[in-house]
Formats: sequence, structure tokens, C-alpha cells
Amino acid sequence: MRASTLLSESLAVLGKELTAELRSRVALNAVGLFGLTTLVAVAYQIGPYRIQEQDRPHLLAALLWVILFFAATSGLSRVFVKEEDAHTAKTLRLAARPLAVFAGKFLFNLILLAALYAFIVPLYCALMGYPVQGVPGLVLLLACGAVALSATTTMVAAIISRASGSTALFAILTVPLVLPLLVMLIQGTRAAAGSAAVAAVVPALQGVVSLGGATLVISVYLFPVVWHD
Amino acid sequence: MTRNRLRAVLQWTLGVWLVLVILAAFFYAPAAAGFKGESARIVFFHVPQAWVAVLAFCVNLVASLRYLRTRNPIDDARAAAAARLGLVFSVLATVTGSLFANVMWNSFWNWDPREVSIVILLLIYAAYFALREAIPDEERRGSLSAAYAVLAFVTMPFLVFVVPRIYWSLHPDTIIGATGKLKLQMESRMLQVLLGSLVGFTGLFSWLYTLEVRLARARLARRGREEA
Repeated sequence: MRASTLLSESLAVLGKELTAELRSRVALNAVGLFGLTTLVAVAYQIGPYRIQEQDRPHLLAALLWVILFFAATSGLSRVFVKEEDAHTAKTLRLAARPLAVFAGKFLFNLILLAALYAFIVPLYCALMGYPVQGVPGLVLLLACGAVALSATTTMVAAIISRASGSTALFAILTVPLVLPLLVMLIQGTRAAAGSAAVAAVVPALQGVVSLGGATLVISVYLFPVVWHD
Repeated sequence: MTRNRLRAVLQWTLGVWLVLVILAAFFYAPAAAGFKGESARIVFFHVPQAWVAVLAFCVNLVASLRYLRTRNPIDDARAAAAARLGLVFSVLATVTGSLFANVMWNSFWNWDPREVSIVILLLIYAAYFALREAIPDEERRGSLSAAYAVLAFVTMPFLVFVVPRIYWSLHPDTIIGATGKLKLQMESRMLQVLLGSLVGFTGLFSWLYTLEVRLARARLARRGREEA
């Protein structure tokens, strides 16, 4: 009974987020356009031919994650900042338990990241001439990376929404936390691009899953403190 | 012996110990083979600084968890003091490492995974203080910065143990190797000085930390009297 209520509350929060986003499309536009603009700038300046052959595996994997991460930071903080700006946070505190709020917002950010990846990654591969041998491995890596990134950014968004100057703070607080994650994701992407076997991305996946899992568990434990304070 | 007298004795002992460590680092320990000139002697200061930065991070975590449980302002002050000292020792470790890199490899910065790890640690501490500055309400500042500190601590094992093993490193292999076994390959006198320095720097951190906490306690007491 209790578990189903928690699930229904989480889905209700997710539904509210999706409805509000489809109405305003602020986060979707910010994330999508930031990603597209950065990709066009990178593709125009560097393109598929201006990188030496031996540098391609490193540089193309790193550039992909730089674009994805910075595009993501432009919109992921909105989940909590908008509640404080619109003065709806108090109502949400009364309407749903903290865990449901966190789960709903986390899932919303996860969907936003999935949409960003689905839009940017194929475009990047086409514009930068980046042939990926192991597509299943890359998809697995993107999925695990999205979960880990969403857990970190949702928690940091909750923290900064209670502070002044929150938009600038979001990047300052998030970047040091996700740098080890990005290192592992870049390493995994390089491996996926070079090999068709899923086993090639396993070492990076282990790191991403353990860091993402640990962050998610800690976030669930800490969120009620941040939310009710 | 009164508390103040004991404190004075401990401070003098620490001072003498650190002077001995400095003298031993330059005159007792032999020059390490395979390094340019006397450059390897920096290890007696660089490694303890990095160790204290990580130790400060751990103290910050414990104090933050205590604050989340007790809501006692002194625990928040403890967490902030540990982070402040951690920031100072991270900067010192980065600078000494960079000086050594310039002597050995003619470049102050080589993007070594351990160099990057200590810089990320430094960025985390800096972000922690940026967050504290942005929250005027004291209680909220305490709880939000404690939450951030706990979240940030999750990344530390990955910075210290995972990232340096993914990329090739200029640094010598870690004391606890990939197999999990303890391996110390150091000349006996060098090892003695290094261990002595680790003890000395840990003592220095404890002294500075205690001073900061006593100062915070006095500030809190004065404010309590003013409000009463």
C-alpha cells in the first residue's frame, strides 16, 4: 500500500513536470538549442577532417561529452529553481513526500537527458564523421551515464534552489562532482567507438554504475534534509 | 597539569618535531636515486600535504554528518574549519607537486591524473565555500553545505583510487597497489623521515583545526551572550 502510494506520488510529480514543460518548453529549448549551437560551432571549426588520425579516438569522445554535459547543465537545474521562483515549493512539500518529489524530478531530468542524447549523438556522429563500432555498448554507456548525471544534477539543483545566485552556483557545484564521471564516460565512449564488443565498455561501465549508484543512494538519503530545511 | 599547560607542551613538542623533520629531510635522508639532484626531498612535504588534504576532507564529512544529526552550530563550524584547512593543504600540495614537476620534467603542469585529482579536490572545497557564501541564513547554510559535503565525498574514492588507474601516471605507484597489498619500496632512512613528516603534518592539522574550532566556539558564545 505504502509502496504503491510512493510510486503514484512519484509519477504524479513526474506528470506535473512533463505537463509544465510541454506547456512552456523552457528546459527542452535551452538544452536542445545549447547542444545544437555548441555542436554546430565545434563541427564548423573542427569538423571531421581537422583532427589527426591518431588523435581522433580521444578528441572525438571528449568533445562529444563536453557538448552533452554543458548542454545538460543549461536546463537541468530548472526542476527545483522554478519551484522556488514561482513560490510553488511549499505547496509541493505539502502535496508529496520528499522521496516522491526527488524521484519525480530525477525521472524528469532523466527523460530530458535521454531526449538530448537521442537528438545530439546521431547528429554529432554524422557531422564529425565519428563511426561508432559498438553501438550497443555506447547506448548502454549513455543510459548509465544519464542515470548518474541525473542523480547528481537533481540533488545539486535541490541544494542551489535554496541559495541566492543559484544559476551560477549550479555549474560551480556540479562540475567538480561530475568530472570523475565524465573521465570514465569519455574512456568508455572511446572503447565503444573502437570495438563492436560490449565487453570493451565494461571497465568504464563498472566505474559509471558504481559512482552513479553511490550518488543516487546518497541523494535519496540526503534529499529530505535539503527539501524540508 | 592544567589544560592550558598541556596544550602549551603539545604545541612546543609539535614545533620541535616539525623542525626535526625539516632537518632530517635535508640532512638525514639520502638523496633518492633516479631523480634530478635533490628534487626528491620534496616528497617529505608534498605527500604529507596531500595526505592532510584528504584527512581534512574526511573530518569535514564526519562533522557534516554530525551536523545533520544534531543541528549543533559547532559541528557546522568544525566542518567549515576542516574544509578551510583542506583547501590550504590542497593548494600547498598542488604547488609543491608543480615545483617538483618543473624540476623533473621541465613543465609545471603535465595533466597527470593525480595532479588533476588534487585540483578537483580543490575545486570541490572552493565550491563548498561558494555555496556557504550564497546562503545568508545560518541554519540553512549549515544543512545545505553539509549535504553538499556528503555528496562530494562520494567522488573522493573515484578520484583517489579509480581515475589514476584508468590513465597512465607520472606519479610512482601507490603505497597500496592494485592487488590491495601494502608495498613500500623506500630506503629505510627516507621512510623514517616520511613517516615522521606524516605524523608532524597530521599534528599541525590537528593544532590548526583545534584553534579554528576554539575560535568558532568563542564567537558562538559571544553571540549567545549578546542575544541573551
